[in-house]
Amino acid sequence: MTTQQLRPIVSVFPIKGKVKTIKQVPLPSVFSAPIRPDVVRFVHTNMAKNNRQAHAVSTTAGEQTSATSWGTGRAVARIPRVKGSGTGRSGQAAFGNMCRGGRMYAPKKVWRKWHRKINTNQKRYAVCSAIAATAVTPLVMSRGHRVNKLPELPLVVSDQLQSLTKTRQAVKFLKFIGAYRDVEKVIRTKKTRVGQGKYRNRRHVLRKGPMVVYARNLGIKKAFRNIPGVETASVYTLNLLKLAPGSQMGRFIIWTESAFKLLEDIYGSWEKPSKFKSGFYLPRPVMVNTDVERIIKSDQVQTVLRNRRPRSRKYGKKIQRADPYEDMSVMVKLNPYYKTKLQKQKELDEKNKKERKEIVDKSRKEYEDWLYFSEEEEEEEEEGSDEDREIEVLSDEN
Amino acid sequence: MSKQVPETIKKQSKRSFNSKEVKKEKNEKRMKLLKEIQTKAFKRAEKYEKEYLEQEQKLVELKQKALKEGSFYREPEPKLAFIIRIRGIVGVPPKPRKILQLLRLRRIYSGVFIRLNKSSLRMLHFIDPYVTWGYPDVETVRALIYKRGHARVNHQRKIIDSNEMIYDKLQKYDIVCMEDLVHEIFTVGKNFKHANSFLWAFKLKPPVGGFSTVKKSFVNKGEHGNREQYINTLVKKMI
Repeated sequence: MTTQQLRPIVSVFPIKGKVKTIKQVPLPSVFSAPIRPDVVRFVHTNMAKNNRQAHAVSTTAGEQTSATSWGTGRAVARIPRVKGSGTGRSGQAAFGNMCRGGRMYAPKKVWRKWHRKINTNQKRYAVCSAIAATAVTPLVMSRGHRVNKLPELPLVVSDQLQSLTKTRQAVKFLKFIGAYRDVEKVIRTKKTRVGQGKYRNRRHVLRKGPMVVYARNLGIKKAFRNIPGVETASVYTLNLLKLAPGSQMGRFIIWTESAFKLLEDIYGSWEKPSKFKSGFYLPRPVMVNTDVERIIKSDQVQTVLRNRRPRSRKYGKKIQRADPYEDMSVMVKLNPYYKTKLQKQKELDEKNKKERKEIVDKSRKEYEDWLYFSEEEEEEEEEGSDEDREIEVLSDEN
Repeated sequence: MSKQVPETIKKQSKRSFNSKEVKKEKNEKRMKLLKEIQTKAFKRAEKYEKEYLEQEQKLVELKQKALKEGSFYREPEPKLAFIIRIRGIVGVPPKPRKILQLLRLRRIYSGVFIRLNKSSLRMLHFIDPYVTWGYPDVETVRALIYKRGHARVNHQRKIIDSNEMIYDKLQKYDIVCMEDLVHEIFTVGKNFKHANSFLWAFKLKPPVGGFSTVKKSFVNKGEHGNREQYINTLVKKMI
């Protein structure tokens, strides 16, 4: 949360005359609390259990017989059977939950856990969410309230409302402000309750209409008491079961000006704790800015991602390459000197070859010369006799 | 109904790094760099050819000189070895297995370069029965890197298809082209470690003509262990 929070402004309307802004007040921080249907549902389901009355089945129900099992061998089931004779009841099965007139399975006890403890902070969280939801028009509409003709949501009205005493005045006000359509809906849809509640003193079912929240009761409670569907509440004691009936957030609430302003003190903000709930700060959302796409596409994020992009993206694909010893172009790309090297090698080879050839030719020539001259010598020698030649003969003497 | 462009798309196209001019500039820069790399590659390749030749000649000279004087010339011990794993992965005891893993010889017929020092020689001693190794010459190193050289790029195995790939990774070690890489490996330079780790372990083919028996050492007419300069002929058969 920013330290300097910009809070939007809400108009305050009069209770009669003309529907126009007489004053403007800043929106309390509660209305920016995170809207958490899951928290509200959890708290609501548990809170709703807290006004239950214990009920149970009689402890003796189904046990007031002295039935005994007949045992085996009688071609009947082994369930305990009522003793005696002379009546239809005798021999009938008893005691079991499957038996007619038997005790139920796991008879209900009064010491069933009827109420639920909920963590205080969770309860407060749910209430903050529910209050925040009352300012969100789509949520209020989806809850079923007729809020089309309202001048504004949240609907804040001058403190004069708190001094109303007559129901007629209250109805006149509701019509003036455009809230009576919601009340009309309630009246129109009043029905007999479906189910057994109808003959248990819960005959009719009403929808929920607008809720009027005040700071001081100067007659307002009595004024709105008899209007069907309308509920009043003090801002100090807002009930989640009323703010989110059936754990559905978005009750249509009409605030008086002082009640509206008090919300800032009662629920505090993220910087300032509540004045009435010790140590309580408004709950923080998990994400402050939920437009994820926008965050990702923002300049700040994109530049960082850009820098972090793996540099070798160019090597992302599998690279195919021929064998450099077979494909000259690949070899030259890797070693630009290669062609020159081959050329030099070739020149060197040729040079060596040439030198070698010279040497070989020279020595061959020498040999041929020698051969030629030696042939001449031989011809000269052949004129002589063989006896001149000294021949070494191996004799027994040596 | 007028066509409305979403704000995010407008922003995206407006961003500087998407504009045509910036892209063009980038491309020009890249082309220029590529040209630079290729000229460098040419010059360095030339230099290294001379260097290799000189080394050979020097060796010969010193040997002849020693012979004349009636003494011996002791060649410097080899700095570089090429190891090829010639046994599979089944039934390898833990110590050799770990050493083979450390040397990146994780499959049969994979090959790596390694610099020879006391530590690495000790390692080779343990894995002798599973590998054959020797001292490669320039042509072998070249053939391996050119034909079977793959780079470790972005945790992936990519064939080296241009000097740009080498430049991107190894520019800070003054290795910008294939010949640089070959030179660094062959002469075991200062940045041998980086050049070698840039290369993925070589995946070679089984040798043409086969092995005699891998169970015996090379010295005993088998195949495993140190075979010094005969590694070159083997690599030719396996490349």
